[in-house]
Amino acid sequence: MRRDREAFARLFEHFAPRLKAYLMKAGAPAGAAEDFAQDAMLTVWRKAELFDSTKAHAATWIFTIARNRRLDVLRQDARRTPMPHLELVQDEPEQPDQVFLASEDAARLKSAMERLTKDQMEVLRLAFFQDNPHSEIARRLDLPLGTVKSRIRKAMIKLRTLLEDDEGGQS
Amino acid sequence: MNGGHNPSEERLLAYAAGTLSPPEAVVVAAHLAMRPANDAWVRRLQAVGGRLLDDLEPEPLADDALARVLARAEVDAGEVLASTPLNDMAGLPEPLRRYALGPWRWLGPGMRARDVHAPRDGDCRVILLEIGPGRDTPRHTHGGVELTCVIHGAYATETARFDVGDFEEADAEVLHQPRVVSPEACLCVVALDGQIELDGWLGKLIQPFVRL
Repeated sequence: MRRDREAFARLFEHFAPRLKAYLMKAGAPAGAAEDFAQDAMLTVWRKAELFDSTKAHAATWIFTIARNRRLDVLRQDARRTPMPHLELVQDEPEQPDQVFLASEDAARLKSAMERLTKDQMEVLRLAFFQDNPHSEIARRLDLPLGTVKSRIRKAMIKLRTLLEDDEGGQS
Repeated sequence: MNGGHNPSEERLLAYAAGTLSPPEAVVVAAHLAMRPANDAWVRRLQAVGGRLLDDLEPEPLADDALARVLARAEVDAGEVLASTPLNDMAGLPEPLRRYALGPWRWLGPGMRARDVHAPRDGDCRVILLEIGPGRDTPRHTHGGVELTCVIHGAYATETARFDVGDFEEADAEVLHQPRVVSPEACLCVVALDGQIELDGWLGKLIQPFVRL
């Protein structure tokens, strides 16, 4: 099978620094985050033959690879107890042909996310990036835990409304 | 939303974000395998994660980072990713089949359990629990959160009925006594945090023998 180094290099240039930022946001030191980014991109390369390179797909796919690995790395550092790979549990759409989002969905997703309030975007971002998200969000925003949970819930319900409404009442 | 009992919005989001503890993630994964609408929603949330990743401020990598990754790729070129062997319970949803299972343990008349060897998180672990038709489980409270997903059969608590694919979340405040209401045995996958505390004199008596 032929793999395209140039296409991979472009993907690497764009996503590897963001993967490093992703893990650092969860509290990992720069060195561990660098290793994490390289390991995740190696997985991208290994599975590259499955990959259809529209950008919306790439971001979802690479996020999923990162998300499958994060707990492994973060918890291992924290506790020094070996953890089996999370891919065993959570490897849904690593294969891009299974990735749900078509490009027209990407546009709709973008506009839906733009319609969330600033507060809602903030909890959403923290929920995706922090370790122990609820208590960490509460601490960062200086809010009670219950408020954080209800803010997340409202953001989710709004996203559902925006994304599911124009599907002809499906779901 | 589809009908039946579902994980909370926060829990589905945490699953999509990869921040749930592994035992909790196992139960949610089993639920998603049986609830396509929730599964589709989680995939959407992963696309949200993709966008957020894309929007992050980049952190520069070492100059030779790309070269190193390509060198590693050369070394293991053609490596075949071994597929995980499946366990002996063909009726389980696919995510559960990838874990080794412990032996069945007898817990009382019509009631048995076996460990699912998924990663633990502190005190939190995953078990399969099977209860015969018409049986009550002992009335109990929990040391921590208990997540349950029904795989076969159905059970009912004082207030609700749980059928195949349904998801129940009980925290430390809940005192309940699920009863199997299906004609066949009810099989559930459960993430347990802390010990179950049995209620009543009989419960106190058998507590030392029933360690789930």
